[in-house]
Amino acid sequence: MRWATRPGVHVDRAACAWLIRRFVDPAAEFIFTADPAAVPADATPFDMRGAALGHHEGRCSFETALAAFDLTADPALEEIGRIVHEADLADERYDAPAAPGLDVLIRGLTLTSGSDHDILTVTDRLFDGLYEHTRRHLLTGRPPA
Amino acid sequence: MAADEEWVLLAYRLPRVPSTPRSAVWRKLRRLGVAWLGDGLVALPADARTREQLDWIAEEVTDHGGEAMVWLGRPGDVAAASMIAGRMSAAVAAEYDAVATGAAAALSVADPAARRRALLRLRRQLHRVQARDFFPPPQRETAQRAVEDLAAAEHAAGAGA
Repeated sequence: MRWATRPGVHVDRAACAWLIRRFVDPAAEFIFTADPAAVPADATPFDMRGAALGHHEGRCSFETALAAFDLTADPALEEIGRIVHEADLADERYDAPAAPGLDVLIRGLTLTSGSDHDILTVTDRLFDGLYEHTRRHLLTGRPPA
Repeated sequence: MAADEEWVLLAYRLPRVPSTPRSAVWRKLRRLGVAWLGDGLVALPADARTREQLDWIAEEVTDHGGEAMVWLGRPGDVAAASMIAGRMSAAVAAEYDAVATGAAAALSVADPAARRRALLRLRRQLHRVQARDFFPPPQRETAQRAVEDLAAAEHAAGAGA
């Protein structure tokens, strides 16, 4: 399937792309367009104005996507949702100490990466690690050493 | 950022009732540190982050049955834009003053736990203000130094104990 979002990806779009590739559509193809009207008919838009997979009811797009894809039963994904929410919105709704660090790392990546596809290659690995860390932390009640 | 560069503007209209979405939007705009140009018209110096922030507030407005449009523009009247920037700067300056005053007061708090709590609270407050500071006033550095002084005193007290 094809999925569309805005170029210049930051934390919320990177997290959504990772979620889509890992949990929804392993063969996902991502396209980038600034104009919501330019999204091809066969592509599903995310983290764009007017998209169902966007910011709604105070949630960031990643949190919206978790609910839309029926993934809220995974506590590690829910926790990552809180981190992405704070990294993206910083509205102090959740206590997520990892959020400012994640925001800085991905903003830095956008400064040094050649393309949005390049950024996603790195952020996919980053979110794989964050997911595993969060999963083990929740399992054992302690941050993995 | 410079006042004569590009700004992002949000023109919005939300029904008066229910009032909850209206005040939620208002609180978010306040947190972002927007310039209030008129009734339902706010502006921020444009960059990727501020454009996205106002985009999502526009989405929230339309989600609640309102109308919203995001515009990009340059001020036709540079003096007026500078005045707006000066007003934004004065608003964050007052917030920085409050942080600096709080940090100075916390230095003389006798209870170490209360002093520590004050330090953490003031650091958070400083970060919040810095996030909406587009035209930094001199008070920015004063506040930063006051919080650093408090942290240094805290560290020295901890090392001595």
